[in-house]
Amino acid sequence: MERENRFWRAILLALPLAVFAAFVIWPLASSFYYSFTDWNGFDPDYDYVGFDNFAKIYTDKLFLNAAVNTALWIAAAIAVPTACGLALALLIDSRIPGGPVFKSIFYLPICLSAVVVGQIWIWIYQPDWGLLNTVVEAVSGERFNYAWLAKPDSALWSVILAWSWQQTGLSMVIFLAGLTTIPEELLEVCEIEGARALQRIRLVVIPLLAPATVVVIALNIINSLKGFDILYTMTGGGPFNSSDTLAMHMYNESFKKYLMGYGSAISVVLFLIALTIIRLYFRQLRKVDELHG
Amino acid sequence: MIWLNRRGLLAAAGVVPALVLGAPAFAQDGDVTLTHYFTGEFGLKIFNEQVAKFEAATDYTIKNSPIGHEDFKTDILVRAAGDSLPDVFSYWAGARTQFVVDSGSLHPIDDMWARDGLDDVVAKSVAGSATMYNGKRYLVPFNYHYAGMFYNTQVLADAGVTDMPTSWDGFLALCETLKEKGVTPIALGSKNRWPAQFWFDYLLLGTAGPDYRASLMSGAAAYDDAEVKAAMAMWKELADKGYFAPNANADSWTDASDKVARGDAAMTLMGTWITGYWNGLGLEAGKDYDFFPFPSIADGVPVSVVGPVDGLVISNDGGNRAGAEAFLSYMMSNADVQASWTGAYGALSANVNVDPANYNVVMQRVSTVVAGADNFAFNYDLATPPPVAEVGLAMFSRFMDDPSQVDDILAQVAADAAQAFKE
Repeated sequence: MERENRFWRAILLALPLAVFAAFVIWPLASSFYYSFTDWNGFDPDYDYVGFDNFAKIYTDKLFLNAAVNTALWIAAAIAVPTACGLALALLIDSRIPGGPVFKSIFYLPICLSAVVVGQIWIWIYQPDWGLLNTVVEAVSGERFNYAWLAKPDSALWSVILAWSWQQTGLSMVIFLAGLTTIPEELLEVCEIEGARALQRIRLVVIPLLAPATVVVIALNIINSLKGFDILYTMTGGGPFNSSDTLAMHMYNESFKKYLMGYGSAISVVLFLIALTIIRLYFRQLRKVDELHG
Repeated sequence: MIWLNRRGLLAAAGVVPALVLGAPAFAQDGDVTLTHYFTGEFGLKIFNEQVAKFEAATDYTIKNSPIGHEDFKTDILVRAAGDSLPDVFSYWAGARTQFVVDSGSLHPIDDMWARDGLDDVVAKSVAGSATMYNGKRYLVPFNYHYAGMFYNTQVLADAGVTDMPTSWDGFLALCETLKEKGVTPIALGSKNRWPAQFWFDYLLLGTAGPDYRASLMSGAAAYDDAEVKAAMAMWKELADKGYFAPNANADSWTDASDKVARGDAAMTLMGTWITGYWNGLGLEAGKDYDFFPFPSIADGVPVSVVGPVDGLVISNDGGNRAGAEAFLSYMMSNADVQASWTGAYGALSANVNVDPANYNVVMQRVSTVVAGADNFAFNYDLATPPPVAEVGLAMFSRFMDDPSQVDDILAQVAADAAQAFKE
């Protein structure tokens, strides 16, 4: 009986493991391999170039630009959807009229694909008739046709705002789940003891939301590193690389300049960054678990 | 009962994907796999009709996978990297095809060309430059385009313009007249960068000539040469005088075309596919829109026309070479297919048996202009190797964002292009 169970366990595990090996492990290993070559993506013949591709990273201005943009995106991912998600969760948890309806509305963007979200925001940012410029015109009374996605100063932040809009719903739901773990009695005691609403939030609610906060921040960071599709839809890294992230830079070098070897080296660096962040996340999660039992 | 330990489990996990990935994608004898970029505004419906004609005339079935024009450029590379190219795919003649030929991914079609007598079908002017690579033939020119100045006839008539400019001074005067009348002279949609390249092509070809341009495209000349600076200075003059509609980098080519169609701008420098797009919107050739050739700039410089050639090529990965050759030969040789396709798509046919009367009045005159030109040049991103084209295309959108930075832009591009040529 035990042997039969083991057999079925092995079979059932082998299939997902096989898929994982085929679509994650194998491409990952291939990227490592090609990062040491000068392969152009088409040619079956290529040469081993040692660490040349990694050395090139240090002199590549566009890589530096993409790394800075990625760091900005991560910083914004930690701050914006986390803060907005928390604020919305607290608002809905305070049992405002229509709370469940608002919860569904705020969660809706996360159900949309990044391409759809990107397209919605392209319309919002459209310089001649987009919602944003129309509102600015209505307020200022003057013609305003700033091209948010076509200007290097605003393209990246415009995409980050659109991405944060989508991501906020996810943060909100996780915070709402975290709020259900806070005992009602504790908050009632605080209220009886004279703590005002903001004090209750600052001194009781936010500290007790630490496990949820760690999950939210980690998910936001990981999703920011994966934020390729919305960027591809909205700017493609442009104008002239101003909104490039490391993922977009890797894509451009590999598939537009046909430098697959160099693109693979960038993907290896990106992988190591993601791995470091995930390790930090698990370490932090363990600490929080220990602290909160 | 079979028992698997951890090692066995990992082995099984390795074997299953190997079996899946290793299984060759056998097509049936009659199936020909095809991937192309003739999608959406680039003629998907009419292309499918031509494919259906081939299927009706032969025993082959086309397994058709169209991909969006912009996405195609990278998707085909992904498939090449995975050794999973289709039997046949569309591709742009010139440097892009050269790149794929150099990598050994294409099957030469010299035997098919000779067997099916394509020498007597394909116009010599196109056959020479578009089909031959490294001394062999690899591509059939399914159609070709020409980039010209397409305009809204009503807008120009309302501005009192009756004669179209043939010289640069005349062109500047036209722009000034339109601007004084409150009309934006030129729409440019450079969001996807490539629509801006025609400006660079015509200004450089019209001032420095085709030989210098060929040197620049091959890396023998540099982007900070006086010739390039002179061409860019002329482009800058247009921008400085406010002749371009604002926010060019925010618009796609269809956005710019829509501006002209609506009368928000007077004209746009675009390929002949714009005629297919406008016809689809219900505009009438010759009545609602027309064109004039890019004005000549310097005396003694050969007259060049610029455009891409859309080709069909056969991959080395494909399993149905006979079917692939039959498809290429049919689509190129069949005058009915060529006439239907080019007439609706807004392109010119390289098939000498296609009656020019098949074209609408605008395309008939386009055909005459192309035939009378001294030189047919591939547009920028098909004339220089793809990694260099990336550098140049970025230059065009950066220039359109801030033309005052032209000197810095050219200095940077000169260095980046030199590096790209080395790689």
